[in-house]
Amino acid sequence: MYRRDSGSFVGFGALSGLNTLEMCAGRDTVIHRLHPFVKMAATIVYVAVVVSFGRYEVSALTPYFLYPAILVPLSETPPRILMRRLLPALPFTLFGGIGNVLFDTEPVMSVGGFAVTGGVVSFVSIMSKTVLSVSAVLLLVSATGMADLSRQLVFMKVPELFVLQLVLTYRYLGVLTGETGTLYEAYAVRCPGARGIRMGDTGAFVGALLLRSIDRAGRVYSAMKCRGFSGAYPTPRRERLGAGDMLILAAVCGAMIIPRCLS
Amino acid sequence: MHMADALLSPAVSGVMALASAGALAYSVVKLKSAGESNLGASVEGRAPVMGVMGAFVFAAQMINFTIPATGSSGHIGGGILLAAMLGPYASLLTIAAVLIIQCLFFADGGLLALGCNIFNMGVYACFVAYPLIFKPMVRSGLSRGRITAASVVSVVVGLQLGAFSVVLQTLLSGVTELPFGTFVLLMQPIHLAIGVIEGAITAAVLCFVFQARPDILDSYAASRGTARGEDRGALSFGKTLLALLAMAAVIGGGLSLYASSYPDGLEWSMEKAAGTAEFEREGGAYDSAAAIQEKTAFMPDYGFKSAGDEGSALGTSTAGIVGGALTLVLAFVAGLLASALKKHAGNNV
Repeated sequence: MYRRDSGSFVGFGALSGLNTLEMCAGRDTVIHRLHPFVKMAATIVYVAVVVSFGRYEVSALTPYFLYPAILVPLSETPPRILMRRLLPALPFTLFGGIGNVLFDTEPVMSVGGFAVTGGVVSFVSIMSKTVLSVSAVLLLVSATGMADLSRQLVFMKVPELFVLQLVLTYRYLGVLTGETGTLYEAYAVRCPGARGIRMGDTGAFVGALLLRSIDRAGRVYSAMKCRGFSGAYPTPRRERLGAGDMLILAAVCGAMIIPRCLS
Repeated sequence: MHMADALLSPAVSGVMALASAGALAYSVVKLKSAGESNLGASVEGRAPVMGVMGAFVFAAQMINFTIPATGSSGHIGGGILLAAMLGPYASLLTIAAVLIIQCLFFADGGLLALGCNIFNMGVYACFVAYPLIFKPMVRSGLSRGRITAASVVSVVVGLQLGAFSVVLQTLLSGVTELPFGTFVLLMQPIHLAIGVIEGAITAAVLCFVFQARPDILDSYAASRGTARGEDRGALSFGKTLLALLAMAAVIGGGLSLYASSYPDGLEWSMEKAAGTAEFEREGGAYDSAAAIQEKTAFMPDYGFKSAGDEGSALGTSTAGIVGGALTLVLAFVAGLLASALKKHAGNNV
């Protein structure tokens, strides 16, 4: 009997992450109830402050671990999801960090009688920054969701054409990945034991997916027009940024920026 | 090739975000003023087409293709493929949307690094490789051979430019210790191999589409010389040059302000090793060389000659802009020379 070789087609594993984060965004916690602008601005400030530390400033970074440590329980985001989503971010930074270990061999401190080189210190700094910055972005998504984020972009005067196609790309990810899965399944049935698609079949395989996508785009547009779509991104009434929201944003940003200025 | 926040400084991220935002804003303006697209959608219908095509790129990137005789696998890039279908402006917006979703939901590329990633993977493919390499190569008429050659060359050039930008952005950020030469030697050959594979896959897909539905290719209209294709897809050489000049000015001016406050890797190593960043030397040969350098240096130590020992932010920034302009002039002259040599060789055949 045919058994699906899921290892060759990685789409389903990747998309499960999308779904889990979107499910987290539906929760009702104190972080979810915050104004989306407050969460977006705080995340950008946090990431900018974290990456602004010098390559040898490791101890000064440690207080910034408080941010994910506080937000994870408050937003009820499962740490396991965060850890799993962190993995794709590691290879490139690992490459840069290991370069430091190899090329920066001057001892800068001694720990328990062992000399620690500048490269090791900067490696720890790079990896800490990676964990912190990626966690902050994932926490933003898990506590806000794509709908609120895109609405906020429209309020921030990002062109509607761009926001709309961003939302539609996100919306049709699942549909087209499912379509790809169907195509792959049909291919795998015809080529049992094949790992992935053979190079010679690439054009026909992706080309067929492409033509199906274009036809689907036509149907999507026709359906949207039937429902009165005129090219504008439909947004409900703007949620006003209250004095309380501003106060929270100022306090959070102050708590991030002041220690950075003092360090 | 997705850049992470941890490898970038806020200054480099900020400048690249501005450059990419400018390219995206320009694309939106051009799309709004353009007529009907080759996929049959009117101006207000662009978003659904671009959205579904973005999802297509995403789905297509998840498929692994076995590379013969290597035991490894590759996947499609998307930049040139999208540009060949949608034209440069719509494809840049589509790639930006894909990169934003990858960043937010898959931790693939950082939030502050988005500007770098859109520039490295979108702007080079859509605004340089596609209009300056792909389109001219297929302008005389589409055929399987021309599509294959144009795809491979434009994907390779786009990836090489992107990889080199990654090296520059990382080194200018001053986070890693990788020496420039080592980093370039690691990045460029790897991306050459990736580019050839991606180019071959892109070519295979475009050849399939060319056989099945040639009318949906952006280059189809251009190769037939219709007004629609010329108007919508083509970026003129002059406009591209102007855009590159503006970007060079922003990057040179903005980044040099930051660069001025930190010693470079070599100076830093010397300071650590010898306690000083500059050695004092005496002797006939040294004095002669120093005198020649003093006379010829347009902006010694990246500042105005009159700025004194301290230099100035204005001088440093101007030096960055002038340096970028000089590099572009040099590149332009080199291009003219290469073109003249090619013509000369052609006449001799």
